[in-house]
Amino acid sequence: MNRIFGRTLRSFSTTTLRFSEPTAYPFAKDAVISQSSLPESLNLGALRRGRGLIEHVRKELVPPEKKQWLETLFSRNHPDRLLPGSVVSVVLNHAPSTFTGVLISLRRRGVDSSIVLRNVVQRIGTELQVFVGSPHLKEIKVIQRASGKKGEGKRMRRAKLFYLRDSPEKMSAISVGKRR
Amino acid sequence: MLKASTSRLAGPIWQIRYIHASLPYAAEVSSNASASSSSSSPSTSTTPAKWTPNSVRTGVIARKRGMTAMWDDFGAKFPVTILQLEECQVTANVETVRKDQSVYHAVQVASTNVAERKQSYAMLGHFKRAGVPAKRMVKEFPVTADAHVPVGTTLSAIHFVPGQDVDVIAKGIGKGFQGVMKRWNFSGQTKSHGNSLNHRGAGSTGQNQDPGRVWPGKKMAGRLGGKQITVQNLQVVRIDTKLDLIFVKGNVPGIDDAFVQVRDAKKTMAIGRHNWEKGQDEKVLPKNVVDIPFPAGTKELAAQYPPVISAKTRRINSPFAAGE
Repeated sequence: MNRIFGRTLRSFSTTTLRFSEPTAYPFAKDAVISQSSLPESLNLGALRRGRGLIEHVRKELVPPEKKQWLETLFSRNHPDRLLPGSVVSVVLNHAPSTFTGVLISLRRRGVDSSIVLRNVVQRIGTELQVFVGSPHLKEIKVIQRASGKKGEGKRMRRAKLFYLRDSPEKMSAISVGKRR
Repeated sequence: MLKASTSRLAGPIWQIRYIHASLPYAAEVSSNASASSSSSSPSTSTTPAKWTPNSVRTGVIARKRGMTAMWDDFGAKFPVTILQLEECQVTANVETVRKDQSVYHAVQVASTNVAERKQSYAMLGHFKRAGVPAKRMVKEFPVTADAHVPVGTTLSAIHFVPGQDVDVIAKGIGKGFQGVMKRWNFSGQTKSHGNSLNHRGAGSTGQNQDPGRVWPGKKMAGRLGGKQITVQNLQVVRIDTKLDLIFVKGNVPGIDDAFVQVRDAKKTMAIGRHNWEKGQDEKVLPKNVVDIPFPAGTKELAAQYPPVISAKTRRINSPFAAGE
């Protein structure tokens, strides 16, 4: 390296030994480049002013294989949507590889959507919060669906079933006979 | 101005060392370069300015739009705040001579078009002089002499590089009149054991007859929040030049849609400057950041590159891997 003494005389190399070929974006090494999900013809006026921006971004950040879940499981009106009080099983990449529990909380935030499943595992009440956008989450299966407004059976009269933490008898009533 | 390096870095074009025109050495080098270099670019102002570790470039004004979450390459979740540049244009270049003859340089930036009736006549005249529509928010960023930006330039999210650190300055949420426990983290007194009516108070406010008064500046209850806060060293994880979005990792002061100033992190840049002076060129910019748009990332520059660019994670190991 040509070292020239004196502070003002040193040159600065904006390129280093760190990458070996020019890329589409020269300012960062190994940057992940993707195209915008917006079509070219769409009028960006409202989005550029911030109206509807957060909902758009929360949807855009969802990986394409999980967009289906947001439209069905996490929608507010879809017939197959998740309902609090359902018994749901999730398949994860890490331990525990599967977890089954009563859905006590459903949080709809686009990519940040999550569900909380509660189960009693070896006599210990256990809750697991699972995020839809997590790359560790592989599958969501509904084992026993809670009834909605017009379904048969008792429906949950709450969106969040945190009261189940204090009533094990109600937990058993929901998930009677379901093994882990 | 281009000087082909004769060092071990000699190779393809991106490994040529640039010497900035503002440095005294440049004049001598450029004359050598025009004689020896095979490059056909002239050593005049047509070559684009390059960032140096001694440069301080302008910041931008953005709007805090909200927050969401992202997952890095190892599957670890982290919060992001979404900042949007809304019609951010340069309205002036400030050069003021101080009493000691040093010069203060700054770039004045304005954001968000408004109807002319909503601005004062004085500001309308200022915007007309700059050739920009009337704006809602005007802020100034101190820069070095080489970092001035032509007036009227529209700044874009391309100004920041995914992987770099930024400081975000905004007015924090106002909390109103608050007691000492919230305002100054006082401990209060006991909740029971005979305590009467004095659970959250400040307790004693001073000594006895000497000094016989309360020191000025004594921490007491009062208005909390609503002041300018700077959050330093937030990492830019993603930019979207189609919507002019900057995703920073972490929290940003203020409410949604509030105006924030975003600039290169001073402390990170200072550390990089020290490393450069020590000769550690690879530690001048954060990991994976190779260069920075200089003097500013403009709308025209953004058109040359893909719209959405995300940074690679800085993590080396998976946080989920079992330790020894």
